[in-house]
Formats: sequence, structure tokens, C-alpha cells
Amino acid sequence: MSGELKPTEILDVRGEVCPYPDVMTQKKVKSMKSGEILEVLVDYPLSAERIPESVKKMGHEVLKVDKTGASEWKILIKVK
Amino acid sequence: MIEPTYILSGLIVGILFGFALQRGRFCMNSAFRDIILLKEYTLLKAVIVAIIVSMIGFHVMASLGVIQLNPKSFFWGANIVGGFIFGVGMVLAGGCASGTTYRVGEGMVGSFVALLGFMMSAVITSSGALKGVKSDLQTMTKITITDQGPLVASTNRSPTLANIIGVDPWIIVIVIAIIGIGVLAWKRKGGEKTEGSLSEKIFKRGWSWWATGIVIGIIAMIAFPASAAAGRNYPLGITGGWSTFLNTLIKGDANVLTWETFLVIGVVIGAAIAAGIAGEFKLRAPGPGRLVQQFIGGLLLGIGAVIADGCNIGHILSGIPQLAISSIIAGFSIIMGCWVTAYLLLMRR
Repeated sequence: MSGELKPTEILDVRGEVCPYPDVMTQKKVKSMKSGEILEVLVDYPLSAERIPESVKKMGHEVLKVDKTGASEWKILIKVK
Repeated sequence: MIEPTYILSGLIVGILFGFALQRGRFCMNSAFRDIILLKEYTLLKAVIVAIIVSMIGFHVMASLGVIQLNPKSFFWGANIVGGFIFGVGMVLAGGCASGTTYRVGEGMVGSFVALLGFMMSAVITSSGALKGVKSDLQTMTKITITDQGPLVASTNRSPTLANIIGVDPWIIVIVIAIIGIGVLAWKRKGGEKTEGSLSEKIFKRGWSWWATGIVIGIIAMIAFPASAAAGRNYPLGITGGWSTFLNTLIKGDANVLTWETFLVIGVVIGAAIAAGIAGEFKLRAPGPGRLVQQFIGGLLLGIGAVIADGCNIGHILSGIPQLAISSIIAGFSIIMGCWVTAYLLLMRR
């Protein structure tokens, strides 16, 4: 993964309650091209656990899930 | 005025319940919505486990004479209409009655706004301007049974699966438990292996669906005799707790406070403790548009729950385990309202 961790796009869904983080992430991923990287900023615990799972189910690659602060996560997704 | 002992027992059960809701991310809105939205069944499995555990627990306690079952009255029209309105409301509010309550403890401002709407409309519908609509719909469609049949220690004349079929409730309890466990075993995919110490699993991570279901089922069992001792013969509930809370604030009359009032306050505290320990507490708000949507969702939650005579906790988690027909019908209607709204709002492009 040489230098490919630079996100192509950033989606900030902080403050949103479920299912919006999940739904907005799925929509965003669908609109992106293969090989592009999406960074999702989320602060809702259930979605932070579930977005990686649902994105994997869609066939994309989850590069990283980082806890960046009190109830804040950064998820990096590589679009297939 | 409710005695201090019962205030304490309500708070303690509420704190346990709130802790478990937060750790298990136990939200019926997500559980039902995700069946069609994400084809995801984890939370649904937690709900099924909780229902099976409390169903067996309630009937064991009733057979031993520890509690008297109290299935809710059956008003088919009110159960259907109220349940549907509640189901629409929970998608808009971003949470069911219990989900909205525990998320307030996580610091979610959107859920706090939804809760304000929920409390307001619960009071308006139970004792305010919409009271007539509720009572008309309930009285016009009420069905009671004349023959109670071989009920386990139940005192009222509400229809249950057992007394309309005319068999011992234990037969139905065992059949439902076997079917439920069979479905869970069949839907089970691979072991969910998690590393880490026990305390880390309890305090830091989201719980697995089966642990969540078992813990919430046991809390529902504890709630029944605890609440009955305080003069409220029913297990868990949310709606009545918040409407009595707001009623007391407005009218200054502490006599309307019940065990359920302290239960819901406990839920917020328990969820805040759980979120705090796990590093998941933060004050956070969505944009203004979403806040308005969540407030309107909250209003619908309150109207629906009071018309249907129960929310997702009163009916699905507390009434279905007592085999009440009212709760089964209201439960299905809540799911329908949830699905129709999730489809219109989230799935159509």
C-alpha cells in the first residue's frame, strides 16, 4: 500500500444517528470509481462497527479503522 | 407518592437496562429496518433471544406464583393504527422509544430533541388534546374474552395466544422457544471470536448479539417483580415513564410518578456510564434539517405508543413474551410502519 492512503474523498457523517452514516457511506461508495479511497468520519458507535462490515459485504476493501478521539472514528475504504 | 425503596429499585433496574442497551447497541429500529435496508440480522437475533429468555422467565415466575401475568388489553384498531404510527416515527426519529432514550445518555443531541417530541406527544395523547382520539379508537375496537382458559396466574381478560387456542401456555412457550432457537441456529454463521480480557469485552466493546439478548431478557425478568412490588404489575416500559415525568414537571404533582418514571431516568444514567467507560460519550448534533426530522419522528413515537397502549418495549419486549395478542398485532404493525418508511425515505433513489 505505498502511498495510497491519501483519501480521494472525505465523507463527514458526524452527529448523524443511524442509519444515516451507513446509508450515506454506501451511496458515496457507489458514486466513486474503482481504486479511489474514501475517508469516512463517524461518531456513532454502532455505525463505526457496522460500516466496515457492510462495505466488505459490498466487495470493497477496508484499509483502516482508527479511533481518533472520544466516540470518533476514521474509516478508510478502497473502492473495488 | 412512590416510596424511596421503589424509586431506588426503578433506578437500579433502569441503570442496568441502559448499560445493556448501550453496550449491545440494542435498537429495535435498526433491528427491523436493517432486515430490508442492509440485509443485516445481528440486532434482530438479539431481539429474538431477549424475547425467548423473558418469555420463559415470565412463565416460570408465573407458575411459581412470583408474579401474575398481565397481558395488555386487545384493541385491534388502536394496536394497528398506533403501532404503524410508532413504526413511521422510529425511522424519522432515528430510534425506537428505548433507542432514543439510551442515546440521550450517549450525548446525541438529535435523540434528545426526538425525546422532547416523544414526551410532549405522549402527554398530549394520553391526557391532552388527542385523548379523545385515543380513547375512541381503543373502546370501539376492544375485544375481551369471556373464558380465560388455562391461563398461568393471569388476572385479566385480555386474549393471549394460549387462551384463544385453548391450550396450556407452556405448550406455546416451548413451541415458540424451539422455533426461535432453530431459526437462530440456522441463521448462525461462523463463531464470533473476539480477543481481549473479560472486562474489556464487557466495558469496551459492543456485546455480541446472544450476550445482549440474554442480558436484556434477564433484566426484563428482574423488572417484573420489582415493578409489581411498586404497584405497577408489568415488566419494562418506556413511554409511561416519560409521560409521567413530563406530567410531573408541568403539573408539579409527584403522585403520578411511577416505578417506570425512575426506570427511564435510570436508562439514561446507565447508558451514560457505559458510553463514558467505553469512550463513546460525546455531545454531538446533526444539521438543523435532521433535528427537525427527528423531532417530528419523536412526536409520532409518542402519539403511536399511547394509541397502541405501548411502545416497542411495552409491546415487543414485555407483551409478546406474555403471549398477548395485542402486543403481537402491535409488534407487527410497528415493523410494517418501519419498513414502509425506511423504503420511502432511504431505499428509493
